[in-house]
Amino acid sequence: MSGILRTTLLLAIAGLVGCKATPPGKFESRMMNFGKHHVFVGNKNQKNPLPDNRNTWNDGKEAFSHYCVACHGMDGQNTGVPFVDHISPPIPSLASKDVQSYTDGQLKSILDNGIWPSGMPGSKGTLSDDELWSIVVFIRHLPPAGSQGVPDLYTH
Amino acid sequence: MKMKYMLVPLIMLSAATVPSHWNVRAQEAPRRIEITAKQFSFEPSEITVKKGEPVVLVIKSADVAHGLRFRELNLNVKVDKGGTAEMPFTPDKTGDFVGHCSVFCGSGHGGMTLTMHVVN
Repeated sequence: MSGILRTTLLLAIAGLVGCKATPPGKFESRMMNFGKHHVFVGNKNQKNPLPDNRNTWNDGKEAFSHYCVACHGMDGQNTGVPFVDHISPPIPSLASKDVQSYTDGQLKSILDNGIWPSGMPGSKGTLSDDELWSIVVFIRHLPPAGSQGVPDLYTH
Repeated sequence: MKMKYMLVPLIMLSAATVPSHWNVRAQEAPRRIEITAKQFSFEPSEITVKKGEPVVLVIKSADVAHGLRFRELNLNVKVDKGGTAEMPFTPDKTGDFVGHCSVFCGSGHGGMTLTMHVVN
């Protein structure tokens, strides 16, 4: 290994050790929320083509369980997610006003494309349009916090 | 003479019953279409069926568990890993319908579709 490469690696490791994720302050959070709701997340006017009923909710719950529970918990409110307090920006409760105040179209856009700046990835292609719209219905009618237990992947 | 009177209605009865018997048989043998499901496509990816003609979609999994769902037609079937499942139905409206894999099967699951053309 060359001297320059070794030095670069040592500096990178030293830099990472010094990193610490701290939660954003109130001002930063408000600015980012405003930016996300009014600038970054589009698709405000698209309507959910699926009916808002029990069957769609059940579909949404199932689709949510494939992929989303790892970060959002079975209830969409982070129950049982072990790293929820160690991430910045924090993983929001999907029942929070910040999330619920998005339109259905914006929620679909976030599900499709992810959201910047956060760890939320896009799911377009991984889940079908129908599944993503059904998740929007599930998010609108989340079960009570803690009522769905802990995701399987954290119980083994 | 008596024999002649018996034969005439017998022949007429046969002529009347045979075609209807064929019709019943035709209804009992719906068209079968074999479809292979694999990550992340259906093969074939498009099929054409006739409105009012009974059909059975035979779904075979070539790898993991899959499903096929036509939401608009209220049809859904799930197939185990490496298994086979059947979806019998009679299309009652014409149009193009897109079915999706209904069992999460990996990163390309959302794009796994089958288009069914229902024609007159």
